[in-house]
Parts: sequence; C-alpha cells; structure tokens
Amino acid sequence: MAATGTATDIAVVGWAQTPAVRRSPSTEVQLLVPTITDAIAMAGLDRREIGFTCSGSCDYLTGGPFAFVQNLEASGAWPPIAESHVEMDGAWALYEAWVRLQHGDIDTALVFSSGKSSASEPMELWPHQLDPYYLAPLGVDPASLAGLQARALLDAGKATERDFAEVVARSRRNGRANPNAQLTGEADVDALLAEPYLREPLRRHDLPPIGDGAAALVLARGARARELCARPAWIRGIDHRIEPHQPGMRDLTTSTSAALAARKAGYDGGPLDLAELHAPFSPQEIVLRQSLGLPEGTEVNPSGGALAANVVMVAGLARVIEAAARIVDGGADRALAHATNGQLLQHNLVCVLEGE
Amino acid sequence: MSDATTGATTTGTAKQHLVMEHLVSLTYRDALPPSLDRFVDRLLEGHIVGHRCPSCSRVYVPPRGYCPMCVVPTAADHEVEVSDRGILTGFTVITPIAYYGQQETEPFVHASVRLDGADTTLVGVEITGVPHDELRMGLRVKAVWKPESERSTEGISSRGWGGVSSVIDSFEPTGEPDAPPDEYRDHVF
Ligand SMILES: [Zn+2]
Repeated sequence: MAATGTATDIAVVGWAQTPAVRRSPSTEVQLLVPTITDAIAMAGLDRREIGFTCSGSCDYLTGGPFAFVQNLEASGAWPPIAESHVEMDGAWALYEAWVRLQHGDIDTALVFSSGKSSASEPMELWPHQLDPYYLAPLGVDPASLAGLQARALLDAGKATERDFAEVVARSRRNGRANPNAQLTGEADVDALLAEPYLREPLRRHDLPPIGDGAAALVLARGARARELCARPAWIRGIDHRIEPHQPGMRDLTTSTSAALAARKAGYDGGPLDLAELHAPFSPQEIVLRQSLGLPEGTEVNPSGGALAANVVMVAGLARVIEAAARIVDGGADRALAHATNGQLLQHNLVCVLEGE
Repeated sequence: MSDATTGATTTGTAKQHLVMEHLVSLTYRDALPPSLDRFVDRLLEGHIVGHRCPSCSRVYVPPRGYCPMCVVPTAADHEVEVSDRGILTGFTVITPIAYYGQQETEPFVHASVRLDGADTTLVGVEITGVPHDELRMGLRVKAVWKPESERSTEGISSRGWGGVSSVIDSFEPTGEPDAPPDEYRDHVF
C-alpha cells in the first residue's frame, strides 16, 4: 500500500538502547544486533517490512575503515535493503529517514547508531575534526575548546561556575532513574566546586563520561504509526542548522544555529513538558537553554543527558528516544529533543515531538 | 613549514606556495571481543573454530558473534571446529609498487579459502607451492602452520582487516582433484 500523508504525521513507534559503558567487550556490530532487533520488535514489525534504513557512526572511533558497512549486518541486509549512512550522530540519520518518508512511497523506517570510544583516545582523536591549518596542528582537544566557551560565558555574565555545577548535580541525579546512564548519583554542588580544575574554568565533572554503546529507533507514518503504537510520539517538526567551523568566528555564548533550527522545526517558545538537550559539557546546557528560550519550569534532561551518558554518535539520537519515550508512556504531551555535532555546538538539530 | 616553488605561471612569474607538513598519529587499543578472542586462543593451539548459526546452520569462521543472515547472536555454545583444508574460492595476484609502508617487493597472492566445514572464507591468505599462473578456483589447499614457537597474534584484528598470517604462513595445494563449482559457488567471499 502506498503511504500518503503530511510532513507532520511521522512518529516514533519503537526504540532500544544499550547501557553506556566505559569499555564494552563487543564490537559495534555486536552491540547493534540485539539493539536493532529489540527496537523492531517493540514496534511490532518484521525487519523485512522496513521501508528504509539509515545509520550514523564514525569509523575513526575504532579505527576500522568501512566499519559502518559491517554495522549494516545487524539490520539484516539480506535480501538487499534500501539504506544510507551518515558519518554523524544518529539524530542526523533520523533526519534523513524522516526526509525519505516524505516521499510518500514507504511508511516505516529504521534508524540506528553506534559508537565505541574505548578503542581510541578521545583527547587525541577529536582535534582532527578541527581545521587542518590553524587548530588541528595545535592539538586543541575538546575539553580545552569547551573551557574557552565556558570562560566566554562567565566573562559575559551569562553564567557562574556554580551554575555549571548545578547542571552537573541535576544531570547525575536524574541519571539514577535511567538504566542506560553511565555516570549517576547524588552530587553536592559545594563539593563539586571544591574539586580542582581540569581545564579552567572546567572541572572533570563538567566533562561527559567516555562511553561505548548503540541505539535504534523505528519511525512510522500516519495510519501505520497508529496501528503499531497506542500513543505514537509524533514528530511535529525537525530541522538542523550549522555555523562556521572556526570557533573564533562565532559568539560562543549563544547558539544561533540551535535557535534557528528550533524556529524552523516549529518551536515557538510555547510550553514544553520536557527538553532533552545534547550538551556534552555542562556550560553548553546553559547556552542551549538560553538560546532556545525554554520556558521556566521546563524539565531539562530527565534522562540525565550527555553528562550521565555520552556515547559519541549515539547521544543525540538518545535524546530523541528519551523524549519520545516520555510521550509514548503518557508522561508528557510535548517535548523538544536536541542533538549536536562538531565542536562547541557548531551544528544543531531540533526535533519537536507531541502526543495526541 | 617550508616554501616550495612551482613552475612559472602563464604570465612568466614564479608562484610561491606555502607547504605545511601535518603528520597524524592516532592510538588505537583493539580489544578483541570474546568470540574472536576464543578463535585466536584455539588458532595458536593449531585449531580453527567458528560459530554455527542456531537458525540457519551456516558456520562462520572466524566467529562473528552473530549470524548476519538471520540477525541472531551466536556464542560459545555454538562453537564448532573446522578443517585446516579447504577450497580456493578466489584470488588476486598483487604486484607491489613502492609506497610508504609497503614491505613486499615480489608479486604475492591474496586469496579466499573456504575451509571444509565452514560457510565463509578466510580472506587475504597467501598461496604457495603453485605457480601464480596455475592458480584457479576449486584448487584444494591445506594450511602451512608456523611452528608453535613462532606464532603470534600480530595482525589479528576485530576491525575488518588483518588475517591469520602470524599463525598460518600460507596455504598450499593438497594434490587432490579440484573441487567442483557446486562446492563453493555461494561461498566465494
Ligand atoms: Zn543464520
């Protein structure tokens, strides 16, 4: 049956995640086999019914050329399937699948992503995503860059170090209810502030944990979504925007691209039950909250966010899954999920989800 | 950094280019998953093991920890031992050119061998004991093991390349008649 519909009748109807762990003994494809199987089973589908598959991962993490091709084996690529891959967080694979569903000829899609940072040294690897002339040769690691952003935020009077610590304490506290979180527990703000600096003004706890893991999500549209899920999480809008690669060319204390993506995704500053923000460094949550204009009282990162579990290439897709899960279980009616790519919130995606 | 001068431009003036060397070194720690770790342990002892899929019965060597056809996990209780003899299912004779890191100087073979009892092939193995122009699909071959004291895990990787050459030097003809195509038609990769 050919599916038809509008841009706003595509919904999340199934998902699965592995716990984030510091060092998984499994390969990315081994992590994905049960994860994809579980997501498709939750949606009540047979994998042969999936209309389109899109994945997100980064071969540099494990140093395995074309690892993303082997990852496809976990989706059951025989008989041949229609698929695509982005060398980006899985949230962008979700975006591509959402665009593909707009064609109207299919009514389901599978999205998955995986990341295994334990095989490499993140502080050594990540500088290579910077420009090869000015920054990569300096070996500027992500924590140092985030330190510059934090300093800019303090100097602009937009936040204090105590604000950073409060983000960390809430994230870890919220993470206790998330079985997939890696770094959780009670944290006292004064005790956090007594810790030494790692990259002044950032302390170790302002950085995300390093983790391995995988996630998968199933999309369906219109009547098919209602058939597969009692209360689908409808994607009312999704958009992504990017800023210059060179951090020195933008105001690091605000996120123009996140604000624009939110507006293009249809977020108007209205009430939200929750927001899942992909902010790997604690000051970035403050930048995002301010730039997105979240209303007072919006619950931010009930899952614990990226400070509780930050599987690179997965953490953005996980934000959509966490927001969708709250809608599907009836705990929320309207949620905003955000994902980021690149350094210092260079590239941002916003997805607005609603229940009916 | 260094200055480099290239050929004259059309206006006759020499053009200056700034050349910047940027050498990249990345560190990876490739921990083998349990399925491959067990394969390596047995290989060092002179045995080749794989996993038999509980759903379709295909035997994967080395074991992958799942069956990609059925998308089901496989584990230690699906382990089977296969022969160190098999069929040459495909090959390339590579004539090395000198590039950074190339250690070969003479033409060599990258071949795929379907071991008896396996549904997959060992890939990237060397074939010796036969002139390159006599290599053919269906050739029956057997492993030439390194002496136990010389075996190592060098080159064995979970990352999609590398092979067993640090344990098995090469494969060589057994002298048996060639296998008919039916025995390897669906198993060439
Ligand atoms: Zn099978």
